Amino acid sequence: MRGLRATRATRATWAVVGKELVVLWTSPLPYVVGALLHIVLGTLYVNQLQARGQALAQPLFPLAGFLLIALVPILTMRTLADEARTGSLDLLHAVPVPTRALVVGKWLASWVTTLVVLAPATLFAVLLAWWGNPDRGPIIAGFAGLALLSAAVAGVGLLASSLTSSQPVAAMVGFFVALLLWFAHVGSETTSAGPLLAGFSISERLRSFAGGAIDSSDVGFFVLLTAAALVAAATVVQGRRLR
Amino acid sequence: MIEAKGLSRSFGGREVVHDVDFRVGPGEVVGFLGPNGAGKTTTIRMLLGLLRPDRGSADVSRPVGYLPEQFAGYDGMSVRGYLRFMARMKQPPSNEVDAAMARAGVADLARRPLARLSKGQRQRVGLAQALLGSPPAFVLDEPMQGLDPKQVVDARHVVQSLAHEGGAAVLLSTHVLAEAAAICDRVVVIVKGRVVAEERPGDAADLEARFLRLVGQAELA
Ligand SMILES: Nc1ncnc2c1ncn2[C@@H]1O[C@H](COP(=O)(O)OP(=O)(O)OP(=O)(O)O)[C@@H](O)[C@H]1O
Ligand SMILES: [Mg+2]
Repeated sequence: MRGLRATRATRATWAVVGKELVVLWTSPLPYVVGALLHIVLGTLYVNQLQARGQALAQPLFPLAGFLLIALVPILTMRTLADEARTGSLDLLHAVPVPTRALVVGKWLASWVTTLVVLAPATLFAVLLAWWGNPDRGPIIAGFAGLALLSAAVAGVGLLASSLTSSQPVAAMVGFFVALLLWFAHVGSETTSAGPLLAGFSISERLRSFAGGAIDSSDVGFFVLLTAAALVAAATVVQGRRLR
Repeated sequence: MIEAKGLSRSFGGREVVHDVDFRVGPGEVVGFLGPNGAGKTTTIRMLLGLLRPDRGSADVSRPVGYLPEQFAGYDGMSVRGYLRFMARMKQPPSNEVDAAMARAGVADLARRPLARLSKGQRQRVGLAQALLGSPPAFVLDEPMQGLDPKQVVDARHVVQSLAHEGGAAVLLSTHVLAEAAAICDRVVVIVKGRVVAEERPGDAADLEARFLRLVGQAELA
């Protein structure tokens, strides 16, 4: 019986992933977000390279990370908020579809979409390798960090989307929470809770990846942050289901 | 089977459904009639477990085919893509997408995106979605809204066959008394949140006269 339930939830999860991907990619969102990301990232990165006068991969990662915390909540804003607004979520609840399948499926589709949108940024690394002879390790680690950061911000964005039926509100709340996490280390020297807060800083975690180290505590942090956001989103969906 | 047992619900201190009791047996089509704001949709949402009753309970055979008052799918998806998705979400998953499309009259729309459908076409996709999996119970909130006369006739046949041939319990809300008279075995009339009558529909003119009298009386009370 347990096994049966598990396969049902898994099958439903994949169905949700497929449907979310269709809905996302038939909307203008990923294209607009992708265009914004690469135009701004390209401009700022080239600027940095000129300012430093050498071909370095490192400045790419904080720039891309910061752009992602602004843009991923735009990709996730629709997921739960709009289904609540239109009532299509009611149809799924009436079946009923397991909440876990909905939340995980939507998150996975958002994450995959973010990775696809981000993928062209690897071209910067290819160009860099063509020009000079950069160290591969930090570049690979940096992209791994960006992928994990995307997973966590997609989770945060999904959580924001579960709290409201307004897409703009979801995007703003998601961005705001991600922004707090980005700057969690600021001023950490001045308060006693500082070191603890600094541990929550996604920009510091990303910096450690871009330094070339894939540290298990950094990976664990992003995995836990993602899981916590998804559990919270599932709790909200379950709670709002019956009112 | 669909059963409401003493369902009550308030919003902001105002009781909009009060002690609603009725039962729809297998093979039966029951019409749920009442003026705007009478509490039909609220009752239906409690039956389906989408809204928590303050008192009372609901008993509905599962799975249940549900057509909401305002049907919404996913704009970017094609009709077939949407129905395939819903079929996979049903418990148990259904493999009757083509049959449901044919029955609801949307087979020729299979490849069209939902966003480009007319209101009536979209409503038929909603009906097709409810048919998936041939469930033993159906709850349809104003299923014929927006349909053209021919589609109304077709949809009536579908609804009747669900109960009379398929043995399902069907509850449908409607404002069209002629429709209730044509297809329902019984009607439940609700006014201001209370069931005021439960009877055979009789012919359309007779039903209309009785309905107006019932509503008039209940509004005076
Ligand atoms: N979420 C809600 N919050 C507050 N009031 C609500 C809510 N949902 C319904 N109501 C109120 O409950 C009453 C019954 O509404 P309901 O939608 O059940 O009516 P109905 O019989 O379906 O009407 P119609 O024929 O117009 O569809 C209305 O007065 C409505 O304003
Ligand atoms: Mg209604």
